[in-house]
Amino acid sequence: MITITPVMLGQVIVSGLLAGALYAMVALGLGLIFGVMRVLNVAHGPLLMLGAYVTYWLFSTVGLNPYLSLLVSMPVVFLLGVALQHFLVRRVVDAPELSSLLLTFGISIALVNFAQLAFTSDLRSVEFITGSFLIGPFAFSKARVIACLFAAGITALAFLFLQRTRLGKAIRAVSQSREVAQVCGINVQRIHMLAFGMASALAAAGGTLVAVMVAIQPEMGAVYTFKSFLVIVLGGAGNYPGALLGGLLLGLVEQLASLFLTTQVNEAVAYVLLVIVLLLRPTGLLGGRST
Amino acid sequence: MPPILQVRNLVKRFGGVTAVNGVSLSLEAGKIYGLIGPNGSGKTTLFNCITGIEHRDSGAVAFKGRRIDGLKPHQVFHRGIGRTFQIIRVFPELTALENLLVVTSGDYARARARAEDLLRLVKLERLAGEFAGNLSYGQQKLVEFIRVLMTDPEMILLDEPAAGVNRTLLNELLDAVRALRDRGKTIFLVEHDMKVVMGLCETVFVLDHGEKLAEGPPGVIQADERVIEAYFGR
Amino acid sequence: MTRWTRWFLPGLAVLTLVLAVYPAWATGYGVRVMLQLFMWIALAQSWNLISGLTGYVSFGHVAFFGMGSYTTAILVGKGIPWPAAALAGGAMAVVLAFVIGWPCLRLKGPYFAIAMLGLNEVLRVAASYFEGLTGGGLGLSLPTLDASVRIYYAMGFVAIAVTALTYAIVTSRFGLRLMTIREDEVAAEAMGIDTFRYKIYAFLLSAAAPGVVGGLAARDMGYIEPVSVFPLVTTITMIVMVLFGGKGTIWGPVLGAVILFTFQELVWAHFPHAHQVLLGAIIVAVVLVMPRGILGVLQQKYNLPRTV
Repeated sequence: MITITPVMLGQVIVSGLLAGALYAMVALGLGLIFGVMRVLNVAHGPLLMLGAYVTYWLFSTVGLNPYLSLLVSMPVVFLLGVALQHFLVRRVVDAPELSSLLLTFGISIALVNFAQLAFTSDLRSVEFITGSFLIGPFAFSKARVIACLFAAGITALAFLFLQRTRLGKAIRAVSQSREVAQVCGINVQRIHMLAFGMASALAAAGGTLVAVMVAIQPEMGAVYTFKSFLVIVLGGAGNYPGALLGGLLLGLVEQLASLFLTTQVNEAVAYVLLVIVLLLRPTGLLGGRST
Repeated sequence: MPPILQVRNLVKRFGGVTAVNGVSLSLEAGKIYGLIGPNGSGKTTLFNCITGIEHRDSGAVAFKGRRIDGLKPHQVFHRGIGRTFQIIRVFPELTALENLLVVTSGDYARARARAEDLLRLVKLERLAGEFAGNLSYGQQKLVEFIRVLMTDPEMILLDEPAAGVNRTLLNELLDAVRALRDRGKTIFLVEHDMKVVMGLCETVFVLDHGEKLAEGPPGVIQADERVIEAYFGR
Repeated sequence: MTRWTRWFLPGLAVLTLVLAVYPAWATGYGVRVMLQLFMWIALAQSWNLISGLTGYVSFGHVAFFGMGSYTTAILVGKGIPWPAAALAGGAMAVVLAFVIGWPCLRLKGPYFAIAMLGLNEVLRVAASYFEGLTGGGLGLSLPTLDASVRIYYAMGFVAIAVTALTYAIVTSRFGLRLMTIREDEVAAEAMGIDTFRYKIYAFLLSAAAPGVVGGLAARDMGYIEPVSVFPLVTTITMIVMVLFGGKGTIWGPVLGAVILFTFQELVWAHFPHAHQVLLGAIIVAVVLVMPRGILGVLQQKYNLPRTV
């Protein structure tokens, strides 16, 4: 049993929050789709993966600063998301949940293997920033800190959008009640497309930020899909601020667990956490809508 | 005679909204009771709490003297309470006959005979092999009604039995309900159609904003000013 | 309608006869191909038992296949004859199903699906972690044995058994109750059906055959490693076979297995990733256009009974 010093604890807690911000941003996307359309988007991870590949491609061909590539990856994947919603997902919004699950599952398989064809499964990386910020006894990976800052910023913008703008309020209205929103003159289908596009853009942003830190390969998204589900469950389905807290919580738990468990078993932590939470509080820790 | 159903101080909240706020009721066996109130007054939530579909936050429900709050819906069913739903919930890809058979276990031949008897009772015997999803609204409503009767429950909760039903069918349903009462069953129904309630129920409970506003025979309730206010506002 | 039944059963009998004597005149390759087809039929039918009948989508079903593979490989390595080892594989798969199902089947349908999504990864991690037992990333080798023909018959037997089991379930009240879970779980509960118990039964039943064929496949391949027995593409293929052929029917999974397997043999060998893109596209297409699969469509159009 290793002794845990306060420094180690502090390091782990901050690392957890840094990672959590990223989880929160990506999960917000998933939560948007679920809140607005009641669809569980299994293809969320692959959309993140596509964002990462856009960044990689721009970096390796024209040397574009990965953080600048946010300006490309987010809009591109936004449009892809809108297209997916308009042509495919729209047809299963009112169908039993099984249908939308299977549909997005099919889309995710197609996207992942398309990436395999286009990029092969060779691991790619974007070597842009290495090293850590040293603050007193703590060392934080630079890429992590910057990713957290961007994630926090993008998430804040997303929330401002949801709270202050007319479209954002319309999204929240449709999340509450589609019928009432329609009666108020809101074009629900447009809101669905917007929400799906926005969610995809958030996923892509996650992919871009993560591209600098981890190996890029076609299957990288799956774990983010799963963790985003976990965050939504932790924070409460349909509860957008809850997704923030859920993301931070997940980041914390994972980092804390890494103190005690080997890296391999760490991957199972998220899974076990999900099952436990679902059993104890199906409506999430902060309460929200159950399906 | 001890009451067959007792609800004591039932409270159910959804997030910030208190749907049922300390409701207490007492029902005696062999009578027809009605539950009325404006939309959103908590009637279906109360039903859901009684039948275990929702977990109450506090309060108690006792059936035949034994507590049933906290039980899962299928356990409540086996204690002797059956219910129908506001929005019809037949099993669409099962035939009418299968919808009935699925409810019972045990001797297949006897279950089948009973199912066919019930179908004959509501004159649907020729549709026994038809998928329930293909039946008309009124036929589905009847199937849902007789499905509840398959195990001969002692108490039956009907959630808006008159909704969307034409006059003839409605009269048949009401006759069936009276016949059940005559055989000693307790019926508890939620209904918006005042004529049905007034003509059928022996005692009526009125809910408003999750609280019991009044209770009594239909004539008294109709004249109660608080009830009129609740429905039509000041 | 009676035209169908008149030549269906005799046709089936003839087919069974032909398949029974097939190994006598076929090449080794031919036998192995057919053996795999039987395996896929068994897998598809099993997936149908839980996901087609109850509507609870199992995204991690290959876990039971892998469990059977590892159990059998380990037991054969200790000298146990492969038929017994394969049955043990099936038993262990059922145990795994119980361990997973007990917590996860309490969750409502979509949440159950999410939980099953992660299962694959967890098991792959577990297989790598318990290296002492499973050989970790290096995998396990079985002592060499040419038992293709015997495994052919074993696989065929399992395929027939699962199909017969499906028939028995679909025509019984037990099967009807499983279907009510798919139709309207709340109403089913309100009508006295303990949905949790029935879901568990269906889940356990659906894990047995994959466990057994996983064991048989391990014996046939002679070597297994985490990536070969827990591949997501196995679950995907199972799902596509059932969706395409007709979920919730008896012969739909068989039809889907035959068609998709043929397709797989032609395309996958040469274009593995294009193949999977197509699988994804097929899922999307089936969900949008033909959600009840081929047999489901025929069932509706010609008003066929449920035992199709």
